Amino acid sequence: MKASKKHDYQYTRSLIEAGLDPLITINFEGIITDINQATVEATGVLRKNLIGTEFSKYFTEPEKAGEVYKEIFEKGSVKDLTLCLRNHNGKLKDILFNGSVYKDERGKVMGVVIVARDVTEQNRIGKELLEAKIFAELATSIAEEAKLKAEDAVRSKQQFLSNMSHEIRTPMNAILGFTKVILKTELTTKQREYLSAIKISGDTLIVLINDVLDLAKVDAGKMEFAQSPFKLASSLGVVLHLFETKIQEKNLELIKEFDDQIPEVLLGDAVRLHQMLINLVSNAVKFTSKGKITISVRLLKEDKKSVSIQFSLTDTGIGIKKDNQKLIFENFQQASNSTSKVYGGTGLGLAIVKQLVEAQGGVIIVESKLKVGTTFSFTLDFMKTNQKAKPEIEYSKLDETNKSFKVLVAEDIPLNQLLMRTLLDDFGFECDIAANGKIAIDKLQNKNYDIILMDLQMPEMNGFEATVYIRNVMNLKIPILALTADVTTADLEKCKAVGMNDYLAKPVDERILYSKIVGLISTLEQDKEIISKVEKIKFTNLNYLDQRSKSNPDLMMEMISLYLEQTPVLIELMKNSLEKKDWITLGAAVHKMIPSFSIVGIHVDFENIAKRIQEYANKQQQEDEIGEMLIQLENVCLQVYEELSEDLDMIRKTKLEKNEK
Amino acid sequence: MKNEKMKIFLVDDDALFLKSLEIDFSHHTEYLIKTFPTGEACLENLSQNPDIIILDYHLDGIDKNAIDGIETLDKIKAFNSEIPVIMLSSQDKIDVAIKCMHHHAFDYVVKSETAFMRLQKIISTISSYKKMEKELNWYMNRM
Repeated sequence: MKASKKHDYQYTRSLIEAGLDPLITINFEGIITDINQATVEATGVLRKNLIGTEFSKYFTEPEKAGEVYKEIFEKGSVKDLTLCLRNHNGKLKDILFNGSVYKDERGKVMGVVIVARDVTEQNRIGKELLEAKIFAELATSIAEEAKLKAEDAVRSKQQFLSNMSHEIRTPMNAILGFTKVILKTELTTKQREYLSAIKISGDTLIVLINDVLDLAKVDAGKMEFAQSPFKLASSLGVVLHLFETKIQEKNLELIKEFDDQIPEVLLGDAVRLHQMLINLVSNAVKFTSKGKITISVRLLKEDKKSVSIQFSLTDTGIGIKKDNQKLIFENFQQASNSTSKVYGGTGLGLAIVKQLVEAQGGVIIVESKLKVGTTFSFTLDFMKTNQKAKPEIEYSKLDETNKSFKVLVAEDIPLNQLLMRTLLDDFGFECDIAANGKIAIDKLQNKNYDIILMDLQMPEMNGFEATVYIRNVMNLKIPILALTADVTTADLEKCKAVGMNDYLAKPVDERILYSKIVGLISTLEQDKEIISKVEKIKFTNLNYLDQRSKSNPDLMMEMISLYLEQTPVLIELMKNSLEKKDWITLGAAVHKMIPSFSIVGIHVDFENIAKRIQEYANKQQQEDEIGEMLIQLENVCLQVYEELSEDLDMIRKTKLEKNEK
Repeated sequence: MKNEKMKIFLVDDDALFLKSLEIDFSHHTEYLIKTFPTGEACLENLSQNPDIIILDYHLDGIDKNAIDGIETLDKIKAFNSEIPVIMLSSQDKIDVAIKCMHHHAFDYVVKSETAFMRLQKIISTISSYKKMEKELNWYMNRM
């Protein structure tokens, strides 16, 4: 019996000693009566030195510690109290206390048992976690800032490139134009030689600038591709024609393989296709000194709607080392550094071709063997069409025209004005100059012209705004030829959208200028009856709404109805407040109208008109202009109203049909 | 943590823009959207405890007696200064933006094609901020 009791005691004792949490018993006087090993470790004081000493003296706040055990005697137990323990090295430890009284067999209170737990580690982890969190947040915000800065930097680089190129192009334009003019005068042989050198260098520079601009556009995702009908066979002919002399000079053989299965007319961007082919052919010619150049165009796939066409260009030139074959498609890279020394060039050509091919969903590959030759091939998809390709005006026909036309040139830069006047005088045409869109409109009101050459960027009123006014307010059908230094298809689309007939890139090639002027005037005469039947240009574009509503017809109808409800009220309000000269209401009404333009896809030019009305209304000035602009805006809105009403009916019908199915 | 939907009030007198914004939000199921054409209507419903209010700056353009965006903002803040309010305006003007900030708007967004994206980003910032605050409080209590 006694042995088993002793055994029990030893078992319990060893459990207590093994526990990781300090256990302490204290008597009424606050003197420690017993402890376990964990307590010794926590305090760093020997067992014999601990027993019999005062409990509270081991804490940073002895009074509070004294209260703890007193509280246990009073209440019977305590839970989760915190104290700070100082061990014999002076190290501080956070301790969590739980304690209760213990009694003898008769229920008399003998003392208190305290279970302590060292939470220093736990608290430290908690603290570190919090610090880590704060640091992480800080790091995130720094990273975000850095990302924004990086994005800004890329954007400003592109902006800089395209601005600079643009700025360089304007003076180059004048230099080249006047060089051409002087070349036509009587010159000594030496003078002619020097001027030709200027012209060739200038042409090279323009090509380079255009390349840089193109790359910047593709990089920025701003390159858009036209979908117009064109004849592939004649496109190819035009490109090859450009290189005929060069190929003959170098005594090379040119082989053209054209697949007869390819439909005659395709939908696509002929201008960009030209650009790609010209780059590839000029490379082939440049790097081949003997042998042949083969261009082959093959039909790969054909279905009801589209065709896949492979273009390959094979030369027997210097070839490219395997290691360098990837490199050549990168910006400003050539197969080797010595290439540019021997053959010239900037290394932009192939980069542009690759970007253009990929932007249209195609792939370009190169196969080459050093000193044997190179094949570049790319594949593009084209839509089929029943439309007819736009006939190209032939130069020879035009030479017979001897009529004198009256031409109005809207152009703000004096040098360009002079250049245009010189060229037009040369053609024997009569010419008036307007320094901006407003002056052009004034001149149009007082005199009849056969054609307008319209620069796009002008102060006061730019080419787009002037065209909108001429077409919608003055209701004139006079041909308008846009002159732009910034050639992108996006601009071309915009020119067409506002009602311009064609566009011409600066620097102006006088032959093309001549043919376009004559062509536009004669087509206008021929097509006078047809023009009236031509589909009206749509002002609205529901793509945005479609996207926003995820093509949900109910949501689209709701939005369109809201627009139809709100807009006439606003227009009416604007007209009334203009009459009453209530500028504040006018401003507020037009202000409210502004977001609606982009929602129903009205061109940003009209939104800008609205913004200008708002600006003038806020400043309470330019009353006459506000009136004019308001009329313009009202006209647009009226047509938009009609279009959207039709669209609304359409959506409703389609929805009903779907439901019936 | 409870995964409740975020309640957002949209206030704009431009019915078209209001609708388009509502459509944008409706593609995201985590938001509960209420729209109001006037500041007054928004204020009357503050007792519904919105998590975020998106408020047009220019509310008194057509109806001269209506209260404007700033006044509505002040009243919202007087009701409960904790509600984040994002101001919307079609004017990209610095003084308008500063005025909004002075009146304790959380942010200022110009009505444009990117407005909804900006709003989404701000809303997620607000909710992550709130979550962070909550966690921080939890840690503070533990300490």
